Amino acid sequence: MNFKHKYVFLLPGLIVLIGILIFPVIFTVRLSLSGWNSFNPELDFVGIKNYIRLFTEDPRFWQSFFRLSFLAVTTVFLQYVIGFALAHMVWKDIKFKRFFRVLFLIPMMTTPVIMTVIWRTFFHESLGPLNDFLGLFGLQPQWLSSPGLAKVSIIVVEVWQWTSFMFLLMLAGLLSLPKEPFLAAAIDGASPFKKFIYVTFPLMAPISIGAIIIRLIEASKIMDTVFVLTSGGPGTSTETSSFYIFIKGLREFQMGYAATMSFTYLIIMIISLTIIAKVLTKVLMRE
Amino acid sequence: MAKIYTFLKYLFVILWACFVIAPFLWAISTSFKDFNSVTSGATYIPWLQFEPTLDGWSVLFKPGSQGGINIVGPYFNSIFVTLTASIISIALGTLAAYALSRYTFKAGIVQNNDITFFFISQRIMPPVVLSIPFFLFLSTLGLLDSLAGLIMVYIVLLMPIAVWIMVDFFNRVPKEIDETALIDGCNPFQAFFKVVLPNSIPGMIVAGLFCIIFGWIDFFFAFILTFTNVQLLPVKIVALNSSITPWWSLSAAALVSVAPLIIVAFVVERYLSKGNLSGALK
Amino acid sequence: MKLKTLVSTLVSVFLIGSQVAYADKWSDQFPHIAGTGDVPGMCSYEETSKKDYSGRTLTINTHAIPVMGEPTALHAEQFEKLTGAKVEVTHTPAGDLYSKAMVPFQAGQAPYDIVFGFSNFINEWKRYLAPVPQKYVDQMDGVSASHMAIASWDGVMYQYPVDGDRHYLKYRKDVIDNPEMQAKYKADTGKELRVPQTWKEYGEMAAYFNGWDWDGDGEPEYGSAEVMKKDDLMYAAFYSRSAAYSKNPSTPGGFFFDLDTMEPLINNPGFVEALGDWVEAVKYVPPGGINFGLGDEIASFGGGQTLFSFSWDDAFVAAMQDDSPIKDQVGAAQLPGADHVWNRETNSWDEGFNQAPYFVWGWAVGVAEKSKNQDMAFDYLCFFANGANHQADIGIGRFGVNPFMEEDFKADVWTAIGWDKGVAEEYVKTLADMEDSKNRVFPLRVPGTFQFNSALATGAAKALAGQLSPQEALDEVATEWKAILERVGADNVREAYAVGVKMEDNQL
Repeated sequence: MNFKHKYVFLLPGLIVLIGILIFPVIFTVRLSLSGWNSFNPELDFVGIKNYIRLFTEDPRFWQSFFRLSFLAVTTVFLQYVIGFALAHMVWKDIKFKRFFRVLFLIPMMTTPVIMTVIWRTFFHESLGPLNDFLGLFGLQPQWLSSPGLAKVSIIVVEVWQWTSFMFLLMLAGLLSLPKEPFLAAAIDGASPFKKFIYVTFPLMAPISIGAIIIRLIEASKIMDTVFVLTSGGPGTSTETSSFYIFIKGLREFQMGYAATMSFTYLIIMIISLTIIAKVLTKVLMRE
Repeated sequence: MAKIYTFLKYLFVILWACFVIAPFLWAISTSFKDFNSVTSGATYIPWLQFEPTLDGWSVLFKPGSQGGINIVGPYFNSIFVTLTASIISIALGTLAAYALSRYTFKAGIVQNNDITFFFISQRIMPPVVLSIPFFLFLSTLGLLDSLAGLIMVYIVLLMPIAVWIMVDFFNRVPKEIDETALIDGCNPFQAFFKVVLPNSIPGMIVAGLFCIIFGWIDFFFAFILTFTNVQLLPVKIVALNSSITPWWSLSAAALVSVAPLIIVAFVVERYLSKGNLSGALK
Repeated sequence: MKLKTLVSTLVSVFLIGSQVAYADKWSDQFPHIAGTGDVPGMCSYEETSKKDYSGRTLTINTHAIPVMGEPTALHAEQFEKLTGAKVEVTHTPAGDLYSKAMVPFQAGQAPYDIVFGFSNFINEWKRYLAPVPQKYVDQMDGVSASHMAIASWDGVMYQYPVDGDRHYLKYRKDVIDNPEMQAKYKADTGKELRVPQTWKEYGEMAAYFNGWDWDGDGEPEYGSAEVMKKDDLMYAAFYSRSAAYSKNPSTPGGFFFDLDTMEPLINNPGFVEALGDWVEAVKYVPPGGINFGLGDEIASFGGGQTLFSFSWDDAFVAAMQDDSPIKDQVGAAQLPGADHVWNRETNSWDEGFNQAPYFVWGWAVGVAEKSKNQDMAFDYLCFFANGANHQADIGIGRFGVNPFMEEDFKADVWTAIGWDKGVAEEYVKTLADMEDSKNRVFPLRVPGTFQFNSALATGAAKALAGQLSPQEALDEVATEWKAILERVGADNVREAYAVGVKMEDNQL
């Protein structure tokens, strides 16, 4: 392996990425140390005042983080289980295989900022079809106006949209599995269940981990759904970190503080994800 | 036993299919409504329950002075920006992913996995805080409100996905394939292009699809970084979102938005089935 | 004899002919102003056509279609035809107007010559806007005094008046004015069914008419449609509800803060009682009402679902559309008042009826200081608001252009577009009376405005959701306000709020 070759492969992408990102990232860190505000758009230096404020005076941020963790983990878990199951089911012999495969891909292709408006109308308690239908059974759940159900609504929308992501990754993974282990298992007379547990699942472990990590990252940024459906409400029951950062940043224009929150969020996420990745590797890859 | 499993399988798949289709059906029905049809309660079937109109659809092609938004221009802008950014992202990302899969990097404590993680961690940052820095960055380069500027920003957003996915897929292509090629006299580049790459088509298709999707559905950066010259589709569509939310035109817009990607989905599915990797060991 | 007749006939024909010809010339080309023809003035169609801006481009960022967005695009098209300029218009949803304008401004740029926003942006963005040149201000003698004040900061006009907004009460005439319903209500409750004078009455009537079908359409109706979703507009609904309880004409010197001490007043008993009313209201809103944004409120009241609504014009206008099932069955009135108002100096309630109209912010538009096309920009805005355009615009409900000129407060404008005379007169009277009130509340326009409003919205939302009691919620808001004051600088806020207090105390 020549010294030169590996860098020729890696560097173009890496350099482009760093080149474009370096200024914004450094600026953001610098921003978090300033008091940039709508009426004070200066990169003045206030030291770590923002960070102190974040850690001592802002329980709302930490509450939102807690909520976010709950929502993200729940949705990703559901997406993984359902996505994997669907992929497994349309992998081989099933009628209309192609139709189902294409159909299951479509939800993630919808633009969230528009689709969530349609979901808003869908969940609308007075004028929407869901409660209209459930009304036939005498049920009128307050999808968006009760704290508990609001979270459920958000989970439903997220699962609808992003299970396709998991589905596609899992399907691609399944389709590129080598045949040998399966032949061996067939020779051994393994039942479908055993085949799954001992052959399919372990072989799919690396891609499962990759998929879960990337979905966790994306799910944590959940914004449009919360914004359009409930605006973080009722009260603050569906307010997630990214929503809170958005409000502080682009509505109240406390850009300095928003940068502080974002940077803290970034660090926490990196630490959490590293831990999660290690745990998952241990759990899923044991033979 | 097998019969029960098959029954459950079909049941599950059909239920999920219904769940997937439901909002689209609602959107189709709603796109033919107007204010009164919407405010009198949920209605479903045109002519039976409400008077259908083409307002929701026609407004997507009228100019602003007639109460519409013309989405034709933005539509093509979005296609161009998404495709260009995706192609570049996949190209650069695949190369980088190959390196990370095959070679060992070590710079102090930084290793392969860390570099890979670095790529994907670019997607962690909430976009909000990046608005002013990217704005300043592009304005210094004079690329605000331009296709090139947007493409540049999108590359940063999409490349990490390409890298993350391709690393996984390259890891599944046995290293023996490379080694065989090298023994046969290829240099590493030839080994990559001629042997490994053709075997990673499923991965590239998947990465490509994700790049296209994430590029197409982005709203935030297109919103902050463009003004009058360049209009992308999502930004133009929300121009309808006035005091009264126009359920009908937004439904129509959503359907129009997702249409090209459905075509892409068909293409992807076909290639996925074809590019079955097992048995590629030759 | 015959000669005289002939001459006078000829003269009349000539005179009439020239008038008609004058009106026709412009309204032929521009059917939008067919109702009035071109109205003479500094920026009439005639005058604007004399300007030549060919080869130049004007860029505008406005609100989404159609509210404000459509008239902007329409007038842009007209302006293009008249002057040869090229006008590029982009549309942005309401909540994003601020960031769309401010991100570039803060980066030192002005990609848009003209920016639309809400009038309470004024303190935040005035340093990036060019003051309106005197010659335009001079020809604004038709604009009502409150709106001149709203468009200006301490005497300097930064925002070109193109719209005026206020919150007012809307009610269903087919119930309130209905003798059968009146009798039924009297029999069941012993009280009069009339336009509610206080928020308590509003609540009682809304609760009574909540949850049953009182208009015979087969669907249950509800009491009130309100903006309760914790979005960008909800705090304004709260101020409407609380103004009467807290705006005490005998204690000038601050409504949001005590101007001397900068102590937040937001958790005083007046506001707390209003929030208590609002928490009660959760019982008489339609299903999902606690998550209603403005669009939902318009769809709800405008679609005939509720007895009452307050807040902006749109719901009323929607109800009066030609194809609306409740056309001509809605009425307008002043916001309800209160039976007592809190006196912060005596620390007790002043008994007696109190009312305080809330001049909530409306659409505002400014020209960027760094714009290289200021001449064109102001000409455009002047053209936008010229006599002919304005008269035509206020008659088109979906445009969102609401009355702010003295001559607007006449019923004929609306009877001309098909409103029932009684409804039109009541509507016009409501708006006009608000101009005359001496106990008005204006929006908070100080540095950090959005932080204050956001904190209030969060607190109110928590109370509505039952997370906190009204007192606890507002105490939390007050604490947050103090923190904001500290961050922003109490003196900065005081200096700015002093301008607002002058307006509240009728000194501007």
